[in-house]
Amino acid sequence: MGERQTYLWRILVTGACFVLFGGGGLILGLIVFPVVLLLPGGPARRRARTRGLVQRAFRLFVATMSGLRGISYDFQGRERLGRQGQLIIANHPTLIDVVLIVAFTPVPACVVKAALFANPFTRRVVRAAGYISNAPTDSMIELATGALRSGDTLVMFPEGTRTRPGRPMAFHRGAASVAIHGASVLTPIYIQVDQPFLHKTQPWYRVPPRRPHISIEVGADIDLEPYRHQRPPKASRQLSAWLLAHYEQELGESCSYNASSNV
Amino acid sequence: MQTKDEVLEQVKATLVELFEIAPERITMEARLNADLEIDSIDAVDLLDRLRRQTGRKISADDFRSVRTVGDLVNAVHAVLQA
Repeated sequence: MGERQTYLWRILVTGACFVLFGGGGLILGLIVFPVVLLLPGGPARRRARTRGLVQRAFRLFVATMSGLRGISYDFQGRERLGRQGQLIIANHPTLIDVVLIVAFTPVPACVVKAALFANPFTRRVVRAAGYISNAPTDSMIELATGALRSGDTLVMFPEGTRTRPGRPMAFHRGAASVAIHGASVLTPIYIQVDQPFLHKTQPWYRVPPRRPHISIEVGADIDLEPYRHQRPPKASRQLSAWLLAHYEQELGESCSYNASSNV
Repeated sequence: MQTKDEVLEQVKATLVELFEIAPERITMEARLNADLEIDSIDAVDLLDRLRRQTGRKISADDFRSVRTVGDLVNAVHAVLQA
């Protein structure tokens, strides 16, 4: 296929994937979960089942989107994800990265934006899976800390929202606070996209000129011990500032994509 | 039973210790967020500390309408009365 055809093809694939995602959310929420919730077992078993189903659905989604050549990706260090009480943090350059992380992390819980609890396509799914709303902040911190202490693996995006290309990254201190209070281990994930794709200010049909490639790399665990010997307000500020500097260093230029290619 | 003045002294000591705020800035009228720069994440740490100090179950909901040091003193006082 010529460049023009693959471009049009990717617009089609990306649009179809949105429909697939919304449709999948409705099918899971309206048909699959109500049945799964009838199966025997306590709340913990049920939650594990629904999270497992979300994961399989996301794997299928990723396989479809990359199989149809809408995206390509690589994911390094997956085997270090999914430990008990592990807090996984990641930067958030594109709508798709969260799907990739949840797809390949053994049954994580996730802090997601409050709007997903109101969105008709997603609200039943995030509820059934026991995901945590990012607002209000105090209850988010308490629920996230509790989930980690009970042994869950939790995924959070410290930016709180997708990265805005051309603007410096900013981290919300909530992730650092949750890490200090609840995590047995803190593991960073670094995500890079070679071109702006499904970012905060980009409508879905604005696909990039080439097929976007998403690189996901699991970094080395971060030692939380020094932060636990300080007063919490100071410790969370220090950790948050350290994490931001660390991400900027790891991601280099790409943390705000490349300003010149951002049109 | 603690009087409100005693509660104020205790709250003041906690704020000084936890956030390194100069004691003279902590008046009953001081706003936690605007004047003392205590944000919603700090508030979680503050409640955590107050729970341990008082040994009472304090729910975040009891403190949601707290804006000033005076409100905080009243809320802690109410929790201690209960």
